[in-house]
Amino acid sequence: MRSLPLFSSCLAALSSFACAELNLSQPLLSRQVLPGTFKPPQVFKNVNLVRNTNLDKSYPRETINVVIENIDTKPQSEYYLPFETSLISRVGGLEVRDKKDADSGFFKVEVVGLDAQSSTEFYLIHLPTPLAPKQQQTLSISYSVLSALAPVPAKIGQSEKQYVQYTFSAYTPSAYVSEKQKTKLKFPSGDVPDYTTLPADLNAEKKVDPQKQGSTFTYGPYNDVPAGADQDVSVRYEFTKPLTHASLLERDIEVSHWGGNLATEERYWLTNQGAELKNHFSRVEWQKTQYLNPPSSALKGLNLPLHPGAMDPYFTDDIGNVSTSRFRPGKKENLLELKPRYPVFGGWKYSFRVGWNADLSTYLRKLSKGDTYVLKVPFLEGPRLAEGIQYSKVHLRIILPEGATNVKYSTTVPLTDSKTSIHHTFMDTLGRSTLELHAINIMDEFRERDLIVTYDYSWTAGYRKPIVITLGMFAVFAATWVLGSIDTSIGKSKKA
Amino acid sequence: MSTPLLDVWEAAASSPYQPSISKDSQLTVGAVLLLIALLLAGVFGLNLKFINVPLLGVPASLAFGFGAVYMICAVGVYV
Repeated sequence: MRSLPLFSSCLAALSSFACAELNLSQPLLSRQVLPGTFKPPQVFKNVNLVRNTNLDKSYPRETINVVIENIDTKPQSEYYLPFETSLISRVGGLEVRDKKDADSGFFKVEVVGLDAQSSTEFYLIHLPTPLAPKQQQTLSISYSVLSALAPVPAKIGQSEKQYVQYTFSAYTPSAYVSEKQKTKLKFPSGDVPDYTTLPADLNAEKKVDPQKQGSTFTYGPYNDVPAGADQDVSVRYEFTKPLTHASLLERDIEVSHWGGNLATEERYWLTNQGAELKNHFSRVEWQKTQYLNPPSSALKGLNLPLHPGAMDPYFTDDIGNVSTSRFRPGKKENLLELKPRYPVFGGWKYSFRVGWNADLSTYLRKLSKGDTYVLKVPFLEGPRLAEGIQYSKVHLRIILPEGATNVKYSTTVPLTDSKTSIHHTFMDTLGRSTLELHAINIMDEFRERDLIVTYDYSWTAGYRKPIVITLGMFAVFAATWVLGSIDTSIGKSKKA
Repeated sequence: MSTPLLDVWEAAASSPYQPSISKDSQLTVGAVLLLIALLLAGVFGLNLKFINVPLLGVPASLAFGFGAVYMICAVGVYV
């Protein structure tokens, strides 16, 4: 009988393990979930749609300019943009604005999930003012697709040209009927050995697709494309540049009021998604070509343009300090040139950390009333590469002084998660208030997007650190006096 | 494009944050304060009287508290 409670407590302990298994590998996206049978109401039509795909960088950048018309009898404000489930997780930086009124800012966009069986998911675009029946509006939808380029052939020699393949639908995915549409592709060069040819009877002008003009290809125009139409095409073109991909970037920004300093540290986990080496790496062959500096599929160096005023940079990796870096202070920017320990070829990885300090007065201002401070920092800094760099996950922490309260923030970067927590570090008693922001699928184009943080920080909270040390020291003095006054002499104590 | 917090930032343009001790003088201030703390502690050690606990102990503790904060900042750990 005694074994029964033991058995039940074992069972309870085991079940707690089972309950603790939460899958937190994917960041939590706030989104609606609709049944798989959901179809967007056919209240709009695309009068004219032009998609520009720019393949200059290591990720395709899509810009869809579309004239939409309300064909319903009531004003409408919800425009759906469909993506395949496998694709939507790699779509980054989707932003929508009014093409004719670019200053009005970005429209509110959210992801609408369907149940697990569905192969399509939607971005829901909220028009700021509902579109009246029979009225038209021009939307400019821009986004990038990460990890979209596949090297073909998958293995190349060390000094060979790299070719990549991009597969997409010749019909721009849309939840509505498109009266007229076309897709323009801009390649980095005219070297496009393979591409899908579509028959002339699909094309509105009865021409064979695609139409070529230098390094620009055009698929279409197509007339009266039904909603959800799909026509897969592939293009293969020369891209002898690294496909630099950061699976994770952790970025810490630490504010110190006592030191008047803003410390930044970035930790990168990079992968080159380009073609792998066919044979072993040959140092001799590599060194022979370095004076000519030919285009290469390997990542040779990274340039970080830091703001003027940045100082004390460091560049370390798992081994320790990496001495192959240069810091060039200038008037416009302080350039930090980094060279990894080895050229990062396709399939290779490199992780490292860089950090620097800056004067706080450039980034922090105090409001005239109260104890409120306002901080303005770039959301992302990082390397500037001609071929671009893509970030799967970005974790940004703003570490505020100990005792900062009422933290608010604002940024135009699309975020997936945000929270405030406590970070414990040197000389803290309670820990520092920390704002944690998470973003996924970000590109280097977001480099100069600002993040503005406001917080309250009273002068009493500011004196916490020296006062704690002072009290500690005073306790030592008091203890010294108490211990010093104990009479340890043998015999009768002398009376004064 | 304007957001409420960006307006707050622009409104505070005339008052950038200035620390009471600039980065350049942190080492000097920290060293002087720590030296004062050391001297006062030395004098206290030679005269262990009750009156000296507040008379020498309080200024020495204050000098050590602020001096330590500035010295830690001066050596690169910006607390």
